[in-house]
Amino acid sequence: MITVEGLRNFGADTDGALRRCMNNEEFYLKQVNKVLTGTSFDKLKEAVDNADFDAAFEASHALKGVCGNLGLTPLYEPIAEMTEHLRKKTERDYSSYIDVIAIQLDALNKM
Amino acid sequence: MNEFGYSGILKRRVLVVDDEEINRDMLGNILKDQYEVDFAENGKQAHEMLHARMTRYSLVLLDLLMPEMDGFELLGLIRTEEVTSNIPVIVMTSEKPAEVRSIKQGADDFITKPYDMPEVILARCERIIQLYEDKSIIRSAEKDELTDLYTREFFHEYIRQIDRNCSDLSMDAIVLNIEHFHMLNEMFGRQMGDNVLRKVAGMLSDMLADGVGIGCRPDSDYFYYYIEHRDSYDEVFATLSKELSGISKIPGVRIRLGVYQNVDKDISIEDRFDHAKYACDRIRGDYNRQIFFYNREENEKDLYHEQLINDIDAAIANKDLVVFYQPKYGIQCDEPELRSAEALIRWRHPKYGMISPGDFIPLFESNGLIQKLDHFVWEEAALQIRKWKDEFGCTIPVSVNVSRVDIYDSELENRLLKILKDNSLDAKDLMLEITESAYADDARGLTAVVESLQGRGFKIEMDDFGSGYSSLNMLTEIPIDVLKMDMKFIRNMNKDAKSHKLVELVIEIADYLGVPVVAEGVEDKNQVDQLKDMGCELIQGYYFSKPVPPEEFDKFIRAEIEKGKNTK
Repeated sequence: MITVEGLRNFGADTDGALRRCMNNEEFYLKQVNKVLTGTSFDKLKEAVDNADFDAAFEASHALKGVCGNLGLTPLYEPIAEMTEHLRKKTERDYSSYIDVIAIQLDALNKM
Repeated sequence: MNEFGYSGILKRRVLVVDDEEINRDMLGNILKDQYEVDFAENGKQAHEMLHARMTRYSLVLLDLLMPEMDGFELLGLIRTEEVTSNIPVIVMTSEKPAEVRSIKQGADDFITKPYDMPEVILARCERIIQLYEDKSIIRSAEKDELTDLYTREFFHEYIRQIDRNCSDLSMDAIVLNIEHFHMLNEMFGRQMGDNVLRKVAGMLSDMLADGVGIGCRPDSDYFYYYIEHRDSYDEVFATLSKELSGISKIPGVRIRLGVYQNVDKDISIEDRFDHAKYACDRIRGDYNRQIFFYNREENEKDLYHEQLINDIDAAIANKDLVVFYQPKYGIQCDEPELRSAEALIRWRHPKYGMISPGDFIPLFESNGLIQKLDHFVWEEAALQIRKWKDEFGCTIPVSVNVSRVDIYDSELENRLLKILKDNSLDAKDLMLEITESAYADDARGLTAVVESLQGRGFKIEMDDFGSGYSSLNMLTEIPIDVLKMDMKFIRNMNKDAKSHKLVELVIEIADYLGVPVVAEGVEDKNQVDQLKDMGCELIQGYYFSKPVPPEEFDKFIRAEIEKGKNTK
């Protein structure tokens, strides 16, 4: 089960995130769970697999905003980096980002 | 004095536009205590919501990257479309280049992602809303120095803002006046008057400050307030009155309040306060009523009456007023016999069509204008009697109404005599109907007038006998020539034995006095037969004919002539 404590150990900026959530822990955890149950990551992965970089940018941009707001730093950092590359349409292998992101999501899911 | 504004109570409406549910929820969570928050998932949906009727947004928080319609496109529309051009927009972004582009397109501020601390977001929202609201208020506007209430222009602008921001709130427009305020100034000096104005304004503002509302002093002793609806103003009024009576002991100086509750926001602000002021002024000098509520139907009725009063001269000049005649038949013979007629006025109004006498006679009776109508009818009837004499060689005496106000007119007799002379008529041709209520006013005066008229040969009919202030005593004092039984007697005569007996009694009384009875409102053969048996002399009613225009009346005369029973 995801807890604030668990998220902190995961490396999340729970203090900042909780302030953004008006210090409502239940509300915060509910939002984090939405990330895990949502389809945003699947969309990103699919876009990268299909080499559809516009769609990949949109998806990573969206994920970046959400993860930033929720203080999910271990997810936010690779996604932010990836988003900037996608924005500049840099030719590179994005699957390594996907792998890193998948590992972090997995860690969250295992809580 | 409290600042009588509407901040704190009022929740402005904010639209959050973001395709990410989590972002929307987080912003909503931050804003919900201060604002009413609506959400849109994309630019297209937001655009529709911004154009929805009855919803006014004080701020749009806009994400840039969205499906369907992105933030840039929506921003462009918001700024170019009139309805939304004055709604501030805060863009939510994390990229500098996007900030530059959106500011060029008219964004007012930014919120970065990840979001700033809630306090920062709230402060930015508040600042930008305030900025926009101040901008739309006329710069030169100011408060009334004496009372610290708004001047009219300022007041109207604030009302528009309240309407926009609280579209679902019911509002009342109230107008307060200090009646005979000038007496305070005259007797105690202007300074005293000013103190009272300040005091009243201060108290009102304090009392009404617990809701949305705003006040203005448009005129010396008038106060206008636009406030959140309340059911009762008794308490407000009582407190103010008590305070005022503590300051001023001058009788007649008092407060009156006109209230237009739950204003219709589709009408102009001016109209709303016209309604409240109308209510306020309606009780001027009416010391039984201090608070009056505007009522649309009553107001319309008053306006209608005013219109009729204004139109009366034109109606006479243009012949919109016409005289109809209802025949009276003698029934104490084998076959009913046309004896006379009653003149009844009708109004074919160019705007309202046929107006029932019930709508305008009581109105004109109450303000004395009935005299104009009466004079008109007398003259028309006299012309008509003359015409029938000339055309058919017979006389149809016509009864005309003589109102209370005519009776006390010293020119009454001269006027009637002149009409007779102008048409070469005999006094008995024009019969005069007076109502019994005239007797209640001034029995002695009435008796003198009646006797004098009879001395000139006029026949006096007592109209509507039994309808109101009937006094049997009156019948012995006033030497009437004909008794017209009120139509209610006839209408009820077959309802029960008692009502039937009443009709018999009236006829007996008339018989005792030696005057004929006219039964009005007779509608069927059965009534005619019974009245005949009771000894009733004359009958008027739909059984024979409704009141008709003179040309239609001609046929009754022709019928009589054919029967070989010319009425001479």
